Amino acid sequence: MNSHTRSYGNYGQRFEGSTSPTIKNPSTQVQQNTQFNDRDRLNDMLATEKWLTDGFNVFAREASHQTLHNDVMHILNETHQAARDVFNLMFEKGWYSLHPEQPSQVSKEYQKFQGYESQFPQEQRTPPYESGGMYQPRQF
Amino acid sequence: MYRQGYSQQYRMNQPPRVLSTKDCAYLTDALSWELLAAKKAYFLASQCSDQQIKHQLEQISQLHQTHYDILLNQLNTSEHDHDHFNYQSYRQ
Repeated sequence: MNSHTRSYGNYGQRFEGSTSPTIKNPSTQVQQNTQFNDRDRLNDMLATEKWLTDGFNVFAREASHQTLHNDVMHILNETHQAARDVFNLMFEKGWYSLHPEQPSQVSKEYQKFQGYESQFPQEQRTPPYESGGMYQPRQF
Repeated sequence: MYRQGYSQQYRMNQPPRVLSTKDCAYLTDALSWELLAAKKAYFLASQCSDQQIKHQLEQISQLHQTHYDILLNQLNTSEHDHDHFNYQSYRQ
């Protein structure tokens, strides 16, 4: 949806304490005064969507019968999508920046948690990410 | 499924399609959230100068109206299994 201005942004900016470039688009300018601006409006809507996902998460968990649960799960999922859409639009406008973790740090953590797999109480029957290894809901 | 009649042997393996008091309370809460969100998104859209942002907010307003109708439909008693045999027996 936001394809026309997408780029991996301004590599000139650096995050303090990191040698990696900041991932950020050039900021779209908004009036910086006491007036509520377009950036404030998107931020406000994002906060609302985040708040709604919390509410619907609890509702989905507490729902009694299956049809109600399914409907609430559907709404929860679409509310997450709406929050993502707002977030992506804000990123596109250059109002969000990301700081990549050091690859050496990532691989250190990978090795650490790979080691913890030895603590699995059950043998892994199917390779991860492969269908068939997924949790099967109870059938009625 | 559970429509086998109430007997000593029979157990329901999941709740019947009946709204509980808690379901009803959550539904009315959620309906208010969705109505507010739909109105808010539409209001914010109307104030926008950026057309892309305006369009996104209008889409979101529509989404919340759709969600409102899904929830409202759950309050429509014709959707429920109030003739459910077990339910009748609990109601007395």
